Amino acid sequence: MSESNENGKSDACCGGGDCGSFMAFLVLRLWLGVRALVTGIEKFGAYANIQKPLIDPSTGQPDSSGVLVNVSVKYYSLTNYSGIPPSLKDRFTNEPLLPKFGLTAFDHLLGPAFILSGVMLLLGLGTRLSLFLMALIYVALTIGLILIKQDDGISWLGIHIALVAFALTLVKHNKFELFKKW
Amino acid sequence: MVKSIITRRDFIGATAAAGAGLLLTSCSPDAGQPAAGKKPGGSDLHIALIGYGAEGAVLMDSLIKIDGIQIVAICDIWEYHRLEGQRLLKAYGTEARAYENYEDLLDKEKDLQAVIVATPDFWHAPITNACLKAGLHVYCEKMMSNTIEGARSMVQTMRETGKLLQIGHQRRSNPRYLFAKRRLLDTAKICGRQTAAQAQWNRAVTEDFGWPRKYAMPADQLAKYGYQDMHQFRNWRWFKALGGGPLSDLGAHQIDIFNWWFGMTPQSVMASGGVDYYKTHEWYDNAMVIYEFPLPQGVARAFYQVQTTTSAGGGYFEMFMGDEGTLKMSEDPSLCAIYREARAPSWDDLVQKGYIRAKVSATAAADAVKVDVRETAPLAEFEIPVFFNKPPHMPHLENFFNAIRGTAKLNCPADEAFRSEYVIHKANEAIPAGQRVAITPQEVEA
Repeated sequence: MSESNENGKSDACCGGGDCGSFMAFLVLRLWLGVRALVTGIEKFGAYANIQKPLIDPSTGQPDSSGVLVNVSVKYYSLTNYSGIPPSLKDRFTNEPLLPKFGLTAFDHLLGPAFILSGVMLLLGLGTRLSLFLMALIYVALTIGLILIKQDDGISWLGIHIALVAFALTLVKHNKFELFKKW
Repeated sequence: MVKSIITRRDFIGATAAAGAGLLLTSCSPDAGQPAAGKKPGGSDLHIALIGYGAEGAVLMDSLIKIDGIQIVAICDIWEYHRLEGQRLLKAYGTEARAYENYEDLLDKEKDLQAVIVATPDFWHAPITNACLKAGLHVYCEKMMSNTIEGARSMVQTMRETGKLLQIGHQRRSNPRYLFAKRRLLDTAKICGRQTAAQAQWNRAVTEDFGWPRKYAMPADQLAKYGYQDMHQFRNWRWFKALGGGPLSDLGAHQIDIFNWWFGMTPQSVMASGGVDYYKTHEWYDNAMVIYEFPLPQGVARAFYQVQTTTSAGGGYFEMFMGDEGTLKMSEDPSLCAIYREARAPSWDDLVQKGYIRAKVSATAAADAVKVDVRETAPLAEFEIPVFFNKPPHMPHLENFFNAIRGTAKLNCPADEAFRSEYVIHKANEAIPAGQRVAITPQEVEA
């Protein structure tokens, strides 16, 4: 089904659809997908100090004294994984409304869930489903932040929820999907 | 259209797989780094360690990590130490021959290139001289000797034989000290005009060393090697005929830094000290010394103190002070610091080069309360972010071995070390003299 522009003519550049709405959804899809995917990947990131010779700026060679300096290098590994930041995890541990098994499961699933929802949204593997999954993650995070009274974080997550909801209203303009059913 | 979708799918799939692989497996900081660990084979230099007491064990800890050398013999008059040294070397796969007497060692070991001497001070000169005359290069621990005459004889023998004689002032090869001297003190002139220096080694009360009774040496063996009894053998540092006391044991390293970093010897010394605490010692248990260095810009006074009854006061360090900054160094990196005077020019270029780093203070300097109108505002503190990852004595030993191979110059040859050791002996003399002792540039030359 094609849509018409203000002049009652189909927009040829979008294959007969509403070009503006299509592009609005596309950028929103990209933003939300990248936001989720990179957030999930970051949970596998950590910094490590590696020792390197101090470089003499005048020669570009190692300093003749032989001294070393620590250089902080970021790297990714499965062993680095930390779903909930340790500082928050400690606070959640004392929350009576958060059972320990639930906290552990959420900690294990949070990173993979972010990556999964991000990849699904970017590739178009069930666009509506991926947006809904993303919204559930943000709702779950909001519950946690309410319990530890992190009002700034709750507002921040509220913006994310609003963007997901907006994306769901625009999803009918979606194109470029690998799996269209959901 | 269909073709383009397939292409996009292929691209996305391939990129995602490659990206995930890269992110999760290949971004480790250790990627491409050689495995840390054991040295490869090679035994270019055959060496012997003469003296395996506390200092000998410290040197051994470095020697076993250095490539291209093999410890083929170990010598100590005490069987207990000889066996301990042999056991340690065996654990590292080396069968070292053991000797009680250095003369026997020199008679029987004909494939040596160098010896490491870590005996009590009063044996340094006779052993070092004998080894040099036997055609060996020598690394001798400081002090060179418990007498000026002994130290001078070592320099003379070095010159006569043409062999290398490195003295164990290991800070002279410490990369952090080399860096701080070259980059901060000499090139950046971070202190401005140097006006004073201060160094100290404050150490808590320690009990005299004991010994396992079943390993006590018989009286005639002790007498043969110059000791009255086992207590004196185990605690030789405190006896005037055998060592130089705390100014020599601890102060020698730091007073040597005064000479090295000022680039000259002092013109005078005055000192106070005494045996006020310990009942079984001959040497001073505390001493405070003031040297005057006639720098081209004016005299700089250097205060040194050694305390063996308290570890308070900041431990051990050497501090060079000037009208623009102060550089505080120590073998313990946590004690190092740089302080910037308000009148100093910008140090931003040093920060950019990574030579220094501003220290984040728990209390902002601006919040400090002055208790006296004459008090100077608190100084900005900086750190020296460089380090090295070897035992403290290892670079100095490596320098010695590299000099034997002809790839380096000695960082502390005996004639250079003699100048420092001479002024240390003079401080020990200044205490009983109770007056200012002049030191001429001529008398510090061996």
